Parts: sequence; structure tokens; C-alpha cells
Amino acid sequence: MKRPAWLDDPKRELWFAWYATVAFYSLYSVAFFIITRTQPPGKPWYGPDQVVGWFADRHSGLLVGFALIFVLGGFSATSIALITYSIRRMSVSRAFAYSYLILYAVSAVPGFLFICVAMTVGAMRPERSAELQQWLYDLGFLSFSGTMGVFLVGSLIWMAAILLDQNRVFPRWFAYLNLCNALTEVVIAPSWIFQRGVLAWNGEIAWWMDVVVFGIYTGVFIFLLRKMIRREDFGTGPLPDLPPRRPPHTRPAREAVTS
Amino acid sequence: MTTTEDALEPAPATDGSRMPGEADMWFFVFFESLLFTSYFCVYLYFRTQNEAAFLQAQSHLLPWLGVLDTIVLVTSSWVMARCVQLARAGRHHTAKRFALLTAGLGVVFLALKMVEWVRLIDAGETFTSNDFMQYYFFLTGIHAVHLLIAFVVLGILVYHPVRSATALAGDHRDVRDVLAHDRSLLGGHIRHALHREVT
Repeated sequence: MKRPAWLDDPKRELWFAWYATVAFYSLYSVAFFIITRTQPPGKPWYGPDQVVGWFADRHSGLLVGFALIFVLGGFSATSIALITYSIRRMSVSRAFAYSYLILYAVSAVPGFLFICVAMTVGAMRPERSAELQQWLYDLGFLSFSGTMGVFLVGSLIWMAAILLDQNRVFPRWFAYLNLCNALTEVVIAPSWIFQRGVLAWNGEIAWWMDVVVFGIYTGVFIFLLRKMIRREDFGTGPLPDLPPRRPPHTRPAREAVTS
Repeated sequence: MTTTEDALEPAPATDGSRMPGEADMWFFVFFESLLFTSYFCVYLYFRTQNEAAFLQAQSHLLPWLGVLDTIVLVTSSWVMARCVQLARAGRHHTAKRFALLTAGLGVVFLALKMVEWVRLIDAGETFTSNDFMQYYFFLTGIHAVHLLIAFVVLGILVYHPVRSATALAGDHRDVRDVLAHDRSLLGGHIRHALHREVT
């Protein structure tokens, strides 16, 4: 019996990690934007009673959406692992990869899991006092938006690694995109101060523009990681270019074989 | 020594058709310009919502300090452009001095900015005082962060011109050019939006 070709593909583990990354970011978007509707974030100026209303509005969504995250959120590790792998494939010191790995392993807790825990706790007992509900609401959104410093330094480490790398793992413009992403993460810091306005945690500058930049950044790095896996030769020298595309006239022949 | 000579020999004369500098660096410049343009669109939109309050708060800025800032900024851009020209002409020693002078003007600009910030804070006008001050401190602050990045890049280019040239896979003198462009562009944006109207 003939084994499927992908079983013998030396890159299959990398492809598992890559597809898991795509699956994770899809789950993440669906859980936060659609099921729980915790993004776009609630209003920072809500009083206790409005917060209770906010929780009541999303009760089941919060429980179901974040249950999904609690079960599958660990897949966030795959993208971090792939990125760390990409840094290890570069000609730079391992210290870059280690720092990145540790930073992102840590950042998942305040930047991602805290909001899920806080909001689920809020949803669990709707009858709890309104002030306590507001405390959970603030904790959720502030931990999610206000802890970008960890991500920021991670981005800068990845940037420095790409700029110093001589194995051509990533294009240099992507290093600069890392810098752009890091700079927009600086902008979220004032969300600890403002309850309203463009720099609050739901502000036009602090949230909307940053989400656009982060969305572009994430899309780009998923695409570039895919390209890296396709180029990977499991060596230690410069990563080879992609082979030229198969000329169109060979396609009919291949179809004839498969049919 | 050969590498040094190779890397530093005069670049071919630009006829205007060739894009100066590393294309990747231009990506950064355009992306950041886009972001700053968006920041200013947000600023201008909210300004139209409450123009009187913005104008009132704006009156706390010193116009002459703004003019001085602008002069320092434009001069530093000119010095950088001059540095590029000198490097292209093969006068590397002078070019390096001009690059250092650019950094010096950057320090002056930052010092002026700090004087301005301290003066405002002493007068009770802080980040949280009103909408205008929120934009003012945010925009000048994020511009200052860009200035710090420029110091890092200038430092790399001054102390490792040859390594920068090979590592950047391009013409290092042109990268400075791009950088100067970046700084004057961002600075220009801010000056226009915040000071023009006061003067």
C-alpha cells in the first residue's frame, strides 16, 4: 500500500505547527469578536450598573467563547514556537530565540488569559455586587490592553534578529514592520490613565489603529512563516530561494496521471 | 582596507530615476507616515468637534519656541542631506562630521522639547489636562521616541559604515538620506499641526 506523500515530508511537523497557528488565530478572532463580543472592547467610562448590563448582554457568549479558549488556547504556543524556530534558523545568537520564547510565554498570561478568566468570573454570578463586577471588567480590559510592553520588547527582539541575520530568513522590510508594530504598542500605554478619549482602551488611536496594524502584522508574519517553511532546507547556512513556479504546460500531464 | 575602499567609493551619480536608499527602509518611512497621517486625521476630526477649546488650550504653547524647534529640525535635515552629498563625493571624513552634527542637532531638538514639556507641566498643563494637551503630549512624545530610534540608526551608520553598507545590502549613505527624510517629514507634520496656527 502506498503511503501518502505528506507522511514522508520532512517538513510535516512544521506544517502542523503552521496550520495550528492559522487555526489558533481564527479561533481567537471568532471567540473575541463574535462569540464573546469582548472586542471591540466595552466602554471604559461605564458605571457599575452599565457594567452589569454589559455582562448580562453577553452572558452565554462569555461562557461558551472563553470555554473554547480555555480548551484550545494552548495552541497559541504553536505560533510562538514557529517564530522562535525562525530565529533559531537565523545566523544570530540563540539568546534572541530564548528571550523571544520566554517573553511570549509570559505575555500569554496577562495579555490573553487574564481577560478570559476575569470575564468568565463576571459571567458566572450575574447577581454579584455591581462594584465587584466593574472591578472584574476593568481588570479584564486593562490586563488585555495595558500589558503591551512585553509584546513590544518581543517585537523588537525579532526585529533585531532579522536585521542581524545573514541567512536571509525574513526580508528586511519585515524587521521594520516589527518596529512599526512595537511603536503602536507604545501608544496603548495611556489606557491606564484615560477613561475616555482616543487614548482610552477603546480609543480610536489606542485600539482601532493598533488593531489594524496588529492585524496586518499578524497576517504578514503568518504568510512569511509559510514561505520560510517552504524554503527550509534544514541546514545552517542561508535559506535558499523558492524554486521557480512549475511552468503551466506541465500541469495537464500531471492531471492526466491522477485521473 | 580594500573592503573599506569598495564600500566607500563614490556612488554613481543619481539621475533622479533611481530610488535612493534601501527599499526596505522606505517601507518603514511610508508605513510610519501613514500612521502619523492617521493620528493627525483623528486629531483634526476631534478638533473640529470642539475648536474653541482646542484653540484656548493651544494658546499655552510658546510660538517662538515652536519656530525655534522647526528651525533646528529643518537645519538637521539639511545637514543630513549635506552629509549624503559629501559621502557621495567621497569626502567621508567630513561626511561623518556632518552625521555627528545631525545627531547633535537631534539632541538640541530633544532638549528644547523637554524645556517645553517642563514649562507646560509647571504651568499645570499636563497630559490629562484637556484634549489638546492629550494630543500634544502624545504626538510630541511619540515623535521623541522616533528621534531616539534615529539616534540608534545614526550611531550604527557612523561607527560601522562598512558593516552597515554590507548588512543593509545597499548604499549606506542613502539610508541616512532616507532617515533625514523620515525625521523632517514626521517633524514637519507635527510642527504644521500644532504650531502653524499659533504663529
